[in-house]
Amino acid sequence: MKKQAILVLAGVFAWALCGTAPASAADIRIGAQVPTSGPEAPYGIDMLNAIRMAAGQINAKGGVLGDKISVLPGDSACDPQAAVNAASKLVSENITGVVGGYCSGATLPTLKVYGDAHVPFVITASNSTELIGANPGNAFMINSTGFDQVKTAVALFKAKGIKTLAIINEGDAYSANLAQLTRTAWEKMGNKVVDYEVVSKGQQDFSPVVTRIRERHPDAVFWTAYYADGALLIKQLRQGGFSGMIALGDGNNSPKLFELAGAAANGVYCFSNPTANFLPAAKTFIADYEKQFHQPPGPYSALSYDGMMLMAHAIKVAGSTDTTKIVAALKATDGFPGVAGPVSFTKENTLARSNFVVLLGKGGQWTLYTGPGAPAAP
Amino acid sequence: MSEAGEAAVGLARSRRSVRQSAGVVLLLAALLVVPRFANNYYLEVLSEAWLYVLLCLGLNIVVGFAGLLDLGYAAFFAVGAYTAGIVTIRLGQSFWLSLPIAVVAATLAGVIIGGPTLRLRSDYLAIVTLGFGEMVRITVRNLSITGGASGLVGIERPDLFGYSLNSIAAFYYVFLLLAGLAVIASYRLERSRIGRAWKYVRSDEDAARAMGINHAAVKLAAYVLGAIFAAIGGCFYAAKMTAISPETFTFNQSLLILLGVVLGGRGKIPGVILGALVIVIFPELFRDIGSMRMLVFAVSLLLIMLFRPAGIWPERWR
Amino acid sequence: MAFYEVLLQQLANGLILGSFYALVALGYSMVYGVIKLLNFAHGDLYMVGAFAGFGTLSLLSGWLGGGWGGIVPSILFSMVAVGVLGVIIDRVAYRPLREAPKLSVLITALAVSMLLENTALAFTGGQYTAFSTALGFAGINLGMVHVTYTQMVLVGTSVVLMVVLELFVSRTMYGKAMRAIAIDQDACRLMGIDVDRTIALTFLIGSALAAAAGVLAGVYYGSINFFMGFLIGLKAFTAAVIGGIGSIPGAMLGGILLGLLEAFGTQIPAVGSEWKNVFVFAFLILFLVFRPTGLLGRPEVERM
Repeated sequence: MKKQAILVLAGVFAWALCGTAPASAADIRIGAQVPTSGPEAPYGIDMLNAIRMAAGQINAKGGVLGDKISVLPGDSACDPQAAVNAASKLVSENITGVVGGYCSGATLPTLKVYGDAHVPFVITASNSTELIGANPGNAFMINSTGFDQVKTAVALFKAKGIKTLAIINEGDAYSANLAQLTRTAWEKMGNKVVDYEVVSKGQQDFSPVVTRIRERHPDAVFWTAYYADGALLIKQLRQGGFSGMIALGDGNNSPKLFELAGAAANGVYCFSNPTANFLPAAKTFIADYEKQFHQPPGPYSALSYDGMMLMAHAIKVAGSTDTTKIVAALKATDGFPGVAGPVSFTKENTLARSNFVVLLGKGGQWTLYTGPGAPAAP
Repeated sequence: MSEAGEAAVGLARSRRSVRQSAGVVLLLAALLVVPRFANNYYLEVLSEAWLYVLLCLGLNIVVGFAGLLDLGYAAFFAVGAYTAGIVTIRLGQSFWLSLPIAVVAATLAGVIIGGPTLRLRSDYLAIVTLGFGEMVRITVRNLSITGGASGLVGIERPDLFGYSLNSIAAFYYVFLLLAGLAVIASYRLERSRIGRAWKYVRSDEDAARAMGINHAAVKLAAYVLGAIFAAIGGCFYAAKMTAISPETFTFNQSLLILLGVVLGGRGKIPGVILGALVIVIFPELFRDIGSMRMLVFAVSLLLIMLFRPAGIWPERWR
Repeated sequence: MAFYEVLLQQLANGLILGSFYALVALGYSMVYGVIKLLNFAHGDLYMVGAFAGFGTLSLLSGWLGGGWGGIVPSILFSMVAVGVLGVIIDRVAYRPLREAPKLSVLITALAVSMLLENTALAFTGGQYTAFSTALGFAGINLGMVHVTYTQMVLVGTSVVLMVVLELFVSRTMYGKAMRAIAIDQDACRLMGIDVDRTIALTFLIGSALAAAAGVLAGVYYGSINFFMGFLIGLKAFTAAVIGGIGSIPGAMLGGILLGLLEAFGTQIPAVGSEWKNVFVFAFLILFLVFRPTGLLGRPEVERM
């Protein structure tokens, strides 16, 4: 019996020793930390696609500092431990930087891994406020945090004369965080949150929740989670007879929402980074993405594209792959023209200026809303 | 057998056991030396592997020794992790205080979860334990003392006699030590009176009762001991990650731990250790395949179960 | 909305939700009843059924339209296809392990489940697929309570399928064989019953029911994804246990009861959707403490 044991554990030991072999590569390696397995895979794969597309475009123009970029995916599987493993592996493969980060709960422990290795991390989706305090200084969040989104949301509700609100989230860190922040802000203004619901991810049947909402008849319903389940919720709300305002958080700005929700998505508001409507570059981005991947980009594709572009830009500005210089270059970013809007950072490495706009569903797609309550153009 | 024959067998046995012990010692030395050579990624994965050895051995007490199908074991893991989180963050106390509190909490949890299952048949037991697992997860997701859906952030890493446990190498040793203790404890338990009682209850409950074994106490003991293993693992896991959230303590986690127990060979301690190593290292080996990772894992799993249904660890090496 | 209208609406909600749970729970219960296996992959057959139905409808809607004319053949085709898939899974993954320890078969079922989910993930890229039909939302109104014709058809179909199944199991030779195998497999073999064939039939029927539920869910909710089997599998398992696992009327009852618990649980002030699942599980556990074999389960003698 012990012979078997020795063989097995010797195997483990040998595998561990493999980790001592040095890596060698001539290209610039950028890690992409996104979930590519599990229930969050659709969002992660969208992000990875965008990162790869950006790298491809950069390489087509000659790369950065004369070297090609190669993208190394690290599957976080939306699990903290798996994400830490992925981060460790990327670091051991001598990456110059990492782009990505979707589930805030999984991203959080990886901050330390990248911090200890002094690897710059451009976070393109996770925006939980917990990340701010835990940031060792080398991470940069280019998705506006919940605070900015709540400001935009509350301003719109006020302008539309909304007095009572219902908030629905999915019980994950991001949507729960956004929901709580909204509730606090709304109640501070002296208004009421008449219904606060939590549903499960992947739940198809929202009818008990819809009935509760009909019972409480709020002026508006705010869904803070993602488009896939949001589409079903919108449909069922309208079918169930709810005719008040429906507003969605930035996890819903995908065109796929209309495919899944049908006509119900017309007249629905969404708070988002300005992908579809602002910069001409955005339209090219969408067309390129659809051409390469045969489906519309996801909610965080544009930001992930920007993240990779920003990273490449910072490397160029730093003039080398010295990670300290790259971090400094990132910190000094001023108005970098991203597809999702210009990028500058506060001293906490969050987005200096809220990019949020309000989108309105019309005719099967998102249009920019410019009526009362819309945020001023940046 | 003649006296000479007996002497020869005895000599052969003792020579073999000397070789075995020498092998074990060499192996241990090798494991202790790994952090000098391996990079952080491998240390990270191996620490996770030792953690799962601890967890799988704990579940093995419930499922392997006592024969109780527990599908909600992650709940006990959560109890330990959140105890550490609450003690260090909400109460501002030292991490080491969370260990005894976690043991008490785990004991309570083991009794509460085990209690209703005492009269149930094995598959009803499965759904009850599953239910409890989900209840614990949703509760920590909803309450603000456990940080809600975002979880608890900023758990302090402990100091041990002035030496701060702040590197992955330190945690490698911690989890290796815990795994070692778990192995020793498991062997002791297996050979003890309660280990035998579990064996009887597992094979034939009525006969066991006829022999005077208090099956309720024996079953509860299994839950409680299993819970304690998981809770201690949970405390140190929280310290290592410095942040915990409800996503880690899902039904999938319970299934994964169960997988480790059955894969290697339920009830057989070396098999369980192997199973734990497989469930951690396999997905990492396949990381480079990208999104096909879990598919390959599933196929491998299926093949293993079809060809070695009793577990990877060969039956005859008991 | 008046309070009684809210209750009525939640009652309707619960019944519809419960019908889905019941259909899937039936397959679970049947398979368990015959070979004592908790088929973790069963929920994923629901998912595969939904995709099969979607594929068929996409092909057929050109000729038969997107209404019930196209949907019914899609359901039938999906039932057959997934039924066969269920038989294949039994033949490949479960039959070789008939004599193996129960826990090993459980893990095998888990592996099959992972396999199905990840294959679907690979095919769909993780995206949700819109299941569009030409069904409207016309229905009847009792005050503020709204029930659509589609919903009524759904519940009706589920009931019909369940009644047919119960008749099949209690009246036909195959049904008798299934029940006999549940009691003593070896004795059945000695009596000349083709055990493997009967078990295969069980899988065929159970999987077909799950597939039907999947297509109906796609039709009703309008969206399908690779992960939808997981949640429903869990709920179906719970429902089967509440009803008494191994009992067909029990599975039906358990499913409906579960749906009602969820709907009314959401309505209760202290519970709400946030604590709904805790409420349901707490109810389940307390129920089992007082009735360890479920609603209609038979107290089984464990044979050595």
